[in-house]
Amino acid sequence: MTKPDYSDVTMRPKLVGKRIKRTEDLRLLTGTGEYVDDMQAPGMLHVAIRRSDQPHAKIVSIDATDAFEVPGIVAVFDMSDFEGECEPAVPTSRMKDYYATPTWPLARGKVRYVGEPVVAVVAESRYAAEDALEHIRIEYEALPFAIRQVDAVKDDAPLLHEEAGTNVIIKREFVRADVDEVFRTAAHTVGGTFRMTRKCASPMENRSYMAQWDKRRRSLTLYTSSNIPGVVRDVLSGCLGLSSHQLRVVAPDVGGSFGGKGSLYGEEMLVCLLARKLQRPVKYVADRLEDIAAMSQAFDELIEAELAFDDEGHFLGLRADVIGDVGAFSIYPWTAALETVQVISFLPGPYKIDAYRGRIRGVLTPKPPTGPYRGVGRPSSTLAMERLVDMAARRIGMDPAEIRRRNLVRDEDFPYRTAPGIIWDRSAFRDCLEGACNALDYPRLLKRRDRMRAEGRWVGIGIASYAELTGIGSRISVAPGMPINTGTETANISIDSTGVVTAAFGVASHGQGLETTLAQIVADELGCSMGDIVVLHGDSSLVPMSSGTYASRSAVLGGGAAALTSRTLKAKVLAMAAILMDADAADLDIHEGLVTSRTSNQSMTLREVATAVYNQMGRIPRDQRVDLTAQQTYDPYLGTACSSTHLCMLEVDPGTYGVKILNYVVSEDCGRIINPMIVDGQVHGAVAQGIGAALLEEVIHNDEGQSVAASLADYLLPVATDIPDIEIVHIEAELPNNVGGFRGMGEGGTIGTPASIANALTDALSHLDIGVDMLPATPERLFQLVRTARTSERATI
Amino acid sequence: MKPARFDYVRAESVDHALEVLSQNGDEAKIIAGGQSLMPMINFRLVKPSVLIDINRIPGLEIIEDKGDRVHMGALARHRMTACDATIRRKIPVLHEVMHHVAHMTIRNRGTFCGSVCHADPAAEMPMIVQMLDGEIEIASASKRRVLPAAAFLVGSLVNALEPDEMVTGITIGTSPAGAGWAFEEFSRRHGDFAMAAIAVTLRTDDGRAIRDARIGMTGVGETAMRLHGLETLLEERQLDDLLLGEVAEWLNDNLSPNADIHASADYRRNLSGVLAGRAIRRAHARALEMRTIGHG
Repeated sequence: MTKPDYSDVTMRPKLVGKRIKRTEDLRLLTGTGEYVDDMQAPGMLHVAIRRSDQPHAKIVSIDATDAFEVPGIVAVFDMSDFEGECEPAVPTSRMKDYYATPTWPLARGKVRYVGEPVVAVVAESRYAAEDALEHIRIEYEALPFAIRQVDAVKDDAPLLHEEAGTNVIIKREFVRADVDEVFRTAAHTVGGTFRMTRKCASPMENRSYMAQWDKRRRSLTLYTSSNIPGVVRDVLSGCLGLSSHQLRVVAPDVGGSFGGKGSLYGEEMLVCLLARKLQRPVKYVADRLEDIAAMSQAFDELIEAELAFDDEGHFLGLRADVIGDVGAFSIYPWTAALETVQVISFLPGPYKIDAYRGRIRGVLTPKPPTGPYRGVGRPSSTLAMERLVDMAARRIGMDPAEIRRRNLVRDEDFPYRTAPGIIWDRSAFRDCLEGACNALDYPRLLKRRDRMRAEGRWVGIGIASYAELTGIGSRISVAPGMPINTGTETANISIDSTGVVTAAFGVASHGQGLETTLAQIVADELGCSMGDIVVLHGDSSLVPMSSGTYASRSAVLGGGAAALTSRTLKAKVLAMAAILMDADAADLDIHEGLVTSRTSNQSMTLREVATAVYNQMGRIPRDQRVDLTAQQTYDPYLGTACSSTHLCMLEVDPGTYGVKILNYVVSEDCGRIINPMIVDGQVHGAVAQGIGAALLEEVIHNDEGQSVAASLADYLLPVATDIPDIEIVHIEAELPNNVGGFRGMGEGGTIGTPASIANALTDALSHLDIGVDMLPATPERLFQLVRTARTSERATI
Repeated sequence: MKPARFDYVRAESVDHALEVLSQNGDEAKIIAGGQSLMPMINFRLVKPSVLIDINRIPGLEIIEDKGDRVHMGALARHRMTACDATIRRKIPVLHEVMHHVAHMTIRNRGTFCGSVCHADPAAEMPMIVQMLDGEIEIASASKRRVLPAAAFLVGSLVNALEPDEMVTGITIGTSPAGAGWAFEEFSRRHGDFAMAAIAVTLRTDDGRAIRDARIGMTGVGETAMRLHGLETLLEERQLDDLLLGEVAEWLNDNLSPNADIHASADYRRNLSGVLAGRAIRRAHARALEMRTIGHG
């Protein structure tokens, strides 16, 4: 056997594309990771929070006298104790028709949802702090409220933020062509009301914060479970009146976010204020009840949408009127527009639709604010659009796959500008559809379904195609109109005198495996070995400007910055090696930490080069010596489309209305795959989350404004037995025009799953002419749909 | 989610536990598996001043074959019940039930007697004691008594124990020879509390008619229950669609399940009829099979 000739660069094995085990897993899976809750500091105090039990009420008085009888109590604070010590975080936006509600650490004057923090108790232990909570008396004066968005949107509804003058704090409309005229003349129209109810992101690790005041340097360090430590540092330094060198924000190991830890929380401000005020380290760890009650929530739009199409199934026009229930506050920094406006931005999906009108009103209600949640807006918009597509197919008797085939944006139409202005670069829209259909042998699957139906079983097949915009550069911000920059990412990579490569990023991995994937890219581009690379992230002090990990950006932007910076650094390494080896740099290359020459048998290790640069003075002429460091910022400017088709078959039990998913396939194009094992894991996890959203999970507020699915006994997360085998087809079509050729893919699974399940349920119940338009499709909802259908069936006979 | 302060006593014997109980009464709580009690304590829904841990008392972690009855010691874990050969042979319906009880880690700690004491209206063990003539063995420092299951299960999360009493064991009846059995449960996720569940044992006579049916249900009322009325309805009847229709109708008329965020009362009534039909069919088929085996 001959050794492969690696002198030809293109023949060398690359780490990008390999199924490499996650390097962070050794510590995470052996219990040696360090989360905020693991952190101890001498003299550390613990915080417990008394939260509002009122949906909307004036705070009349707070009496904490008895709390001070509890052994271990240190102090009790309400918002009045911090007046003059902090400014609120205000999620401003360039959008018109928008009102930015201020975020304070504790409720100020009144409470606006059940679960809002009102009083903070500080004690020597969390036990003592919770003991003291029970002795605090808060007198409220109840205020009127409208808990449902259809009521809150009315002109005479009670106002949650009087200063806004309205509950409708965000309005937006996208229009292309005369859509009403299209509807007047179209051969067919279908329409409906679609809804994804509220969700809670539910990461394994609850929100956890610890702040430490350094008296000597008069500076503060906040350890937070956040996935946006850079954003948090920038805003908090303003709120707390600290210059940014006085505030460092660190996200150590973080146990998931799913979007829930991707916004600023009042509790983060609170621990900082307390640590500075008390001059002691202060820790607050939310418990599960608190996170279900007060973590940012998802979806909750009421979408009325219609689709116009011709006899051949070509889509002609789409119009939608959406009321988004944004909760009690506009969340920092994303604003109330993030979730709501995305619904109408992405409603046309991957389809070519010439006429469009999408309207959204985001309305305040006394509930926790909505915020980022894996998929953001698009699980809702995809549910609405994909249901409409299936309704259209059914209307004209066309196969659901065929009607999609006819309307997906074609290769020759890329780049395609959608009616709301999203630009789809070329992505494998149609190949993904075909990939999913081929994977399950669609024609045979249809026959299998029909055979099972013949036995009286309720079996259905559902398809959902979608596209999302990922890896968004500086041209647009992640949330519409938001003034902070989310479009660049900086990498700082240095090689020390021992040859160790330290690669620092502004991203904040919280389960995505970025320590592994970024190292794969650095190893390939720089030519060092994986084992020599240390990836640093999740710390506002690492690079000049950082925000964090969100919006499917870190592979595209972080990976792009890693590649650019590694290339610059590699040139420096080779320049130094050329001097040391007395060769021409153009003849040298470096692979797995070994510099080799194409023209001689000479070689040097990276470590030898580094030692020569830093330690062996004289080997390199003084005026030619350069540090082996590089820092570069990557800005992809536009975003890139990540597209996918989900296809599933499921069965509804006609007696219990339980749902069993029989087959599930995801066919997706995420560009060049950095690590297939991690990509598969992201797809599996996101589909599981989507199944939860489609069948189980629901935050429910009753008419009294109370959250009634308050614990994990009632807020039902999917468990192993709910998740089928998930087949994945990777379509690697034309690579996107960014540095790495990557597309962001961490969110996609949650986008397609609810829609494909809703379509499959509708298909399974097609003999009863039932449309499943509201999720989760609980046994109770299916029971009521079937009962209503049977009643009206009897009535028409 | 931290408990209020409490004292902890590790009981060395039943008498020791009873002595501490008699000194503290209402303020004390017995802890065995702790699978329901610990969350309630952490939520501060329960604030005992003393927790009496009976886990180290010798002799209670036992399941005993007593001929036509089986004795479940106060520390018999769900895992033991699921794996016990006597139960599998003599009370197969209980063996089948165990597949639906919570999750592995909970089954390793949770106890049969603890579940009965907790009296959750959607739990399986209270249904089993109702259905199988369970007798609850109760002790206090001053006296011993035995209560039938129906008298012990007073209401939702309420049992008939006095503050100074604890359950030391429970006996349940075995299935009659030749009886077929079935258990049907539906919950939102596997291992969750039942939205409705039904256990059936029955025999068939030479003419395939139903004899000696026993039916227990849970999840559809204030407590788990035995459905004597439905048993009477089945007696000497042939299994057919007509009968199952009557069963569904009977359940619809006689059950008054609660509505909660997971389902309406109507849904639960409907579900009860569906599950009853499936359970009776399966139990009947098994009873016929038993006769074939018996005669073969």
